[in-house]
Amino acid sequence: MKRALGAALSCLLVLSSCAPNQPADEPRKAISYAVEEPITLHPGRQTIAFAQDMVLFSGLTFAGKDGAITFRNAESVTSTDAVRWTIKLRPRWTFHNGEPVTAKSYVKAWSAVAYGPNAWENSGQLANIAGYDALNPANGKPAATELSGLKIVDDLTFTVTLKSPDGQFPAQLSQAQTGFYPLPEAAYADPAAFAKNPIGNGPFRMTQPYRETEPMTVDRYDGYQGPQPSVDEITFKPYTDMNTAYTDVQAGATDILYVPNSRMGQVKKDFGDRAHVFQGLAISYLGLPLWDKRYQDIRVRQAISLAIDREAVSKAIFDGIWEPATALTPPAQPGTPRGLCGDLCTFDPVRARKLLAEAGGFSGTMEIRFPGGFGRDDLFNAYANQLRQNLGIKDVTAKPTADFPEFFELRTGAKLSGPYFARWGALYASQQNTLRAIYTRTGGCSNCVPDHDPAIAQLIAKADAQVDPQRAIAGYVDVQKAILKRFPAPPMFFEKNVFATSERIASLDEGAGLTLENTTLVR
Amino acid sequence: MTERGVWPTVRRRALFWLPVAVLAVLVLLAAFPGLFSSVDPRACDLSASARPPSSGHPFGQDLQGCDVYANVVYGARASLSIGLLSTLIALGIAVVVGTLAGYAGGWVDSVLGRLTDVFLAFPFLLGAIVVLNSLGRQSVLAVALVLAVFSWPVLARMVRTMVRASRDAEYVQAARAMGFPIRRILAHHVLPNAIGPVLALATLTVGGVIVAESTLTFLGLGLRTPSVSWGLQLATAQSRFQQAPHTLVYPGVFLAITVLSLITLGDVLRDAVNPKERS
Repeated sequence: MKRALGAALSCLLVLSSCAPNQPADEPRKAISYAVEEPITLHPGRQTIAFAQDMVLFSGLTFAGKDGAITFRNAESVTSTDAVRWTIKLRPRWTFHNGEPVTAKSYVKAWSAVAYGPNAWENSGQLANIAGYDALNPANGKPAATELSGLKIVDDLTFTVTLKSPDGQFPAQLSQAQTGFYPLPEAAYADPAAFAKNPIGNGPFRMTQPYRETEPMTVDRYDGYQGPQPSVDEITFKPYTDMNTAYTDVQAGATDILYVPNSRMGQVKKDFGDRAHVFQGLAISYLGLPLWDKRYQDIRVRQAISLAIDREAVSKAIFDGIWEPATALTPPAQPGTPRGLCGDLCTFDPVRARKLLAEAGGFSGTMEIRFPGGFGRDDLFNAYANQLRQNLGIKDVTAKPTADFPEFFELRTGAKLSGPYFARWGALYASQQNTLRAIYTRTGGCSNCVPDHDPAIAQLIAKADAQVDPQRAIAGYVDVQKAILKRFPAPPMFFEKNVFATSERIASLDEGAGLTLENTTLVR
Repeated sequence: MTERGVWPTVRRRALFWLPVAVLAVLVLLAAFPGLFSSVDPRACDLSASARPPSSGHPFGQDLQGCDVYANVVYGARASLSIGLLSTLIALGIAVVVGTLAGYAGGWVDSVLGRLTDVFLAFPFLLGAIVVLNSLGRQSVLAVALVLAVFSWPVLARMVRTMVRASRDAEYVQAARAMGFPIRRILAHHVLPNAIGPVLALATLTVGGVIVAESTLTFLGLGLRTPSVSWGLQLATAQSRFQQAPHTLVYPGVFLAITVLSLITLGDVLRDAVNPKERS
């Protein structure tokens, strides 16, 4: 009785600690996530700190599980011609230091990300904004320091003028395109310090600066104006080897892990329903060296596609988790025409041999190359075995390079003589992202499919110009149909994002990548 | 009176014949793999991935659906040839360096001795990783060469000690007094008496080199597909050990038996040529 009275009294004295949404007896909901060493947390620079930046910051729009775009920090993003966009921000949003998030927070940040001499890694995401080229001259220092395509209308409104019409602009503003995040004034004085201790506008804030090799904990930000997260605290634990992280999650020492390829074959057995499979935005191709005469006959390329039993490969190597590709973009991108590839993406060794024979057979050896050290050896050895046995080519080998940079150099320089690794993980859920990356010359997936037909580029531009989502989708499907007629490279797999969780975790949520803040815990 | 010498000593020991028999079988495997397995090690059936032993596949099938037995049989060649080749190269270097140092003595001995120490002081695995990574191409010859570079110093030291011991022996002094050329003295009088213990040690080295090759291959630095080797089999099998233990166990057992035979043989030979060191 006395104690109850005491508790009631202390409630009266310190009102805030007894707020109804945070009962005193409920423990803090804390989760931990296994990550690679992020190096930098600066949203304009990061390339492997998506998980961290996506909870420290909030983008203008947000891509949900089905790829549907909703507004987050933006109240609206509108355009009538797909060239001039008006962005209205939601009121009362603040950075973690209390600074209000205004139109200027975005306009100044985007100019800094696009400014050539900064050489920030995510600069390319803004390449279609008018004035980008002036900030990135071929040589010398740019005369301008601001993107001419951005205009501040009032505190919460700004306009964006694009170089070419692009109806997918709202999707490009979603959470994984961190180059489009806003930055507070504090970011500019010392970018290096900001990269270790960023001040964002997202649901979580830093508790102390990030230090390499040490776990980093972020805390719920009470002033956050967006949807409330379901956890209070997230710890990012760095690992140099994700196989170690895998055993740590098995032991319950860490809560959530993105399962590496090398463990995918056993994750369902090890984790049961604690293995979570999401669609993801990545697609795997088997790139073909079109600069080599032997691969220039379309029948050879079709034969290669028909000779690989995708279903059996996925079953043996990835426990059936990867899905055989039947289109040129991953299914999580709205409107992806599943099944469009038709017969050519099925397994038909008889037809494969026939096509190869009609094309005059195959002379010499076939050396498949892929980057070593990424747990893909088994996959490419399976490709090699399938091609050797089902096409009757005597000498097919799969050879890893020492590391990714070596592979990248060989592919970019067109120095490969056989089929090779080609994969694109999209950052936003639109067919545009994958088609642009793989099938345009400056797309980013350099030489993944070395076929850059101007007619295809025109078709992509035509689809880009549609403001209406359904008409844009129809446009991208037309692009896919046109590419499949050329069949420059066989699509292989719709990859999946697989996560394993400890027994504490009840559910995970995914948008463009894991939406960590919506994780729920077992009660 | 019992006979003396290496051959009469070892030929009565079961511990000599057992490893010799095992090694003879392994050499046969390596030389004529077709005799032992009619299955092509690279004929793989993906639908039978990681299937445990069944009829027609006594050791089961690996992740790619290839016959594990055929791979073990064909893998013997890579492992044994690297072991032998590498040891031969190392032995060659060791004999030259060791004889020179031991017979000449003086500053030559000092310089060569320090050189040997430098190689001994270099961490083997680190050195091999650096060299193989910078080589890029990894053939049987390249791997053997790298392993030889790091295994000759121990042999060279042994050669030097033995040569030094027999340099001042009376029969060598006699030969020198008779005016024989140095080459003849070394070839006919010094080396034949010095080489026994070195050969015993070399046998041990073969075993060590085979293990080292597997280690390097396991780490992704040694042989690579399409080569067939035990190290490669172990490397691919390790991440799937829980689902398909047979893919790891069989090549592992063959590797262990080979190395054990070589070490036993080396021990027996060493005991025979140098009874003082017997433990």
